[in-house]
Amino acid sequence: MSSRNSWRDFRGWIEDRLGLDAILDFLHNKRVPQTRHTVWMYTGSAILLFFVIQVITGIVLAFYYRPTLEEANKSVARIMTDIPLGWMIRSVHFWSATFMIAIVFVHFLSIWILKSYRKPRELTWMTGVFLLVFSLAFGFTGYLLPWDDLSLSATKVGTDIPRAIPVVGAWVTKLLRGGDDVTGDTLTRFFGIHICVLPLALLFFLVFHLFLIQKLGMSLPLEAELKKEKIEEIPFWPNFVYREAVVWLVLIGALISLAVFLPPSLGKVADLMAPAPKGIKPEWYFLFLFQTLKLFPANILFITGETLAVLLIFAAVVLFFFLPFIDTRPAERRGRVIVASAYALIIYALAMSVWSLLQ
Amino acid sequence: MKFKDSLFTRRRFLNGLLGGGIATLAASLLYPIIKFVFPPYQEPDKVLLPLADYQGLAPGSVKGFAWGVKPGFIKKKADGSYLALVGVCTHLDCNVAFLPDQKKFFCACHTGWYDENGINIGGPPPHPLRTLRAVVEGENLVVKKEGVA
Repeated sequence: MSSRNSWRDFRGWIEDRLGLDAILDFLHNKRVPQTRHTVWMYTGSAILLFFVIQVITGIVLAFYYRPTLEEANKSVARIMTDIPLGWMIRSVHFWSATFMIAIVFVHFLSIWILKSYRKPRELTWMTGVFLLVFSLAFGFTGYLLPWDDLSLSATKVGTDIPRAIPVVGAWVTKLLRGGDDVTGDTLTRFFGIHICVLPLALLFFLVFHLFLIQKLGMSLPLEAELKKEKIEEIPFWPNFVYREAVVWLVLIGALISLAVFLPPSLGKVADLMAPAPKGIKPEWYFLFLFQTLKLFPANILFITGETLAVLLIFAAVVLFFFLPFIDTRPAERRGRVIVASAYALIIYALAMSVWSLLQ
Repeated sequence: MKFKDSLFTRRRFLNGLLGGGIATLAASLLYPIIKFVFPPYQEPDKVLLPLADYQGLAPGSVKGFAWGVKPGFIKKKADGSYLALVGVCTHLDCNVAFLPDQKKFFCACHTGWYDENGINIGGPPPHPLRTLRAVVEGENLVVKKEGVA
């Protein structure tokens, strides 16, 4: 019996039990609209690519990392200096996180501006907002793990922000910190959240998100849908996948180059008693919020500036989550205001980030 | 099926019983988990410092101490008594530094300023630094939470 025959037999055996041919047929027949906006569709698989890199590098980093007050900083130092290619693995994990968050932002803004969330894709958007929150939470919890002076101060600020939420705030802060203050317990807790809670939560929503995308197909540009234009399409396999593969290779090249030439540093071990170091800054994707918090005065009317800022941010997140239900007439005036607000947010975030960096 | 005079069908009753049972079970399992993730309160009621370390301070000068896991500051007042402050910014919880040349407390996180008595004088902090009670008891300088004897 030739190997070709035994392969066919094996496939037949699997097919009888799992019925995977339906999925393969679906992917063979899937088509992707080819318009001038198609370029944004590459962002989704690029995020997945970086997520997979995060999972792999994260698992091997966890082989050596020790999430305790005494050993965290030392174990990261050991990864950077002793373990073969340890500096490289940590550097790739660091840069891949940066790439992932950056592309998540692009992904969101393109969907916002092109209004791809409109009916029937509201749930795709809402699961996406959860994925965004989990991605940022990954970044926030991961930032503490090296346990150096910058990461300690950033975490003190970050976990204190929920305290300004009325009623439940103090409780949330205590839950995040594992006590009233940031201590070794916080570090261990963040590690648990970073490697267990967030991956499970993200995977759950990711499966839902991807299922919806396959079920509903790729969205068409708004103008094409309104004019009922005939849109050119290309097959997902192999035409679109090969184009995506080119993007992945370019991104992996950029990732490895940055990881080799600009590895992240490791500050001196965090001291719970030491004053906050000068020039503390959070990760770049929180800079605009950090700068916004600086601008709010101590007290506004009868509440603290902090409470007002937190309530405004919270309101913005809620509006963002329900955006598909607010933008019900995308072609009309309200729809244009919503697009303009996306551009306004980009300009605001860039301006605030640059300002913060210049200080 | 539904009996005469019954308010709902047997199936609805069973569904409700199962759903309610599962919800009750889930709640009773959730309670210990929630209790577990909140460790006991960590802040000390008081700390004892050797008086000898602080006695020699010049009036107006400041020296640090450990208030549990937080930094604290002792200031010797002009009348010889002591002022104890928790060295944690009231804005967003960063540790503050004392700048002896300016006689001010400074928080580097969001550029918050306090005067030498811990009163907020600039930047985002909404309240003065938290004060503690510092009393001399024999050989010790005892720093206590407000309200602790």
